[in-house]
Amino acid sequence: MGLFSFDGGKKESQPPNTRSQRKLCWESRDAFFQCLDKADILDAMDPKNSKSIKSHCKVENEKFEENCAHSWIKYFKEKRVIDFKREQTIKRIEQEAKQRERNQ
Amino acid sequence: MLNSSRKYACRSLFRQANVSIKGLFYNGGAYRRGFSTGCCLRSDNKESPSARQPLDRLQLGDEINEPEPIRTRFFQFSRWKATIALLLLSGGTYAYLSRKRRLLETEKEADANRAYGSVALGGPFNLTDFNGKPFTEENLKGKFSILYFGFSHCPDICPEELDRLTYWISELDDKDHIKIQPLFISCDPARDTPDVLKEYLSDFHPAIIGLTGTYDQVKSVCKKYKVYFSTPRDVKPNQDYLVDHSIFFYLIDPEGQFIDALGRNYDEQSGLEKIREQIQAYVPKEERERRSKKWYSFIFN
Repeated sequence: MGLFSFDGGKKESQPPNTRSQRKLCWESRDAFFQCLDKADILDAMDPKNSKSIKSHCKVENEKFEENCAHSWIKYFKEKRVIDFKREQTIKRIEQEAKQRERNQ
Repeated sequence: MLNSSRKYACRSLFRQANVSIKGLFYNGGAYRRGFSTGCCLRSDNKESPSARQPLDRLQLGDEINEPEPIRTRFFQFSRWKATIALLLLSGGTYAYLSRKRRLLETEKEADANRAYGSVALGGPFNLTDFNGKPFTEENLKGKFSILYFGFSHCPDICPEELDRLTYWISELDDKDHIKIQPLFISCDPARDTPDVLKEYLSDFHPAIIGLTGTYDQVKSVCKKYKVYFSTPRDVKPNQDYLVDHSIFFYLIDPEGQFIDALGRNYDEQSGLEKIREQIQAYVPKEERERRSKKWYSFIFN
């Protein structure tokens, strides 16, 4: 797999950076992430999840990879995990605050 | 008015009033003299023909009652009008002073940003615009500018921020008729050539000017504006990569000095209001220096 990452032709296959293409990329990302939500998968980069992704979200994943630049795919997948953890943290803090209010 | 004044005058002279009024009613001289005599008799004897008494009472009643309502209404109207005027004056004064105070605070903030401790934010730079022409700090003078540091291959933050910038520029132009110079400085000079920037920025407001340069030139301007940016290590030729960078809009005054930074905490509306406020609070350097020499300069410090 590592060998392919140095493919010189990769640059040519990158999608053009226009407003309409960005919209396509974002939409296919959203569709893929919705599928992951249904399949109860958080980290799309985790090797443990690759089989599950193939069986549940093969079509969405292929479209995502087709419409987005490689670095964007990596970025969005990482961001998904970070955003989730941040939301979890916020919820926990809010619950703790409510708990303290009840105790008082 | 004339009638009223007559009645007022009459009322002060009770005896004469009766005489005058009767005179008004009967034109004959003989009748006038006769009735005058009648009055005298009445006051002496307290007896008079019954026909006369009702007339006298009616007239007296009119005299007493008629002027009062006019006077009362006059004063009520006057008091009401004065109250309204006073409230409007108070409200207007308060609103004016509040606005002045807010603009003064904004101006102080801008002045503090110009100084920014020992080293001012901003300064000289040499870049190239997306038409291949040189662009330096001199191009910032004579008008307000707003700078954004990003790169064209940005996944989502930069396009969102540029849409926000587009909204601000459009609103300021349409509603305030203010021309502000929007600049997009690339943190990715390796890929963002003038042509690439031109194509990328065509999706946003046409007034936005793209700036790029050599790696050292970009590094220099980013350092002057305290912009963090980072290209990943060991990037291979043609390899796809992202650039980390801080996310701020820098507001520059017509003298080319930094006066404010808008981060992600500002949304479309609050950012627009902030920019408007800074523009309205702007005081030219000459005026700032002139003020500092006045005896009341402490007000502005």
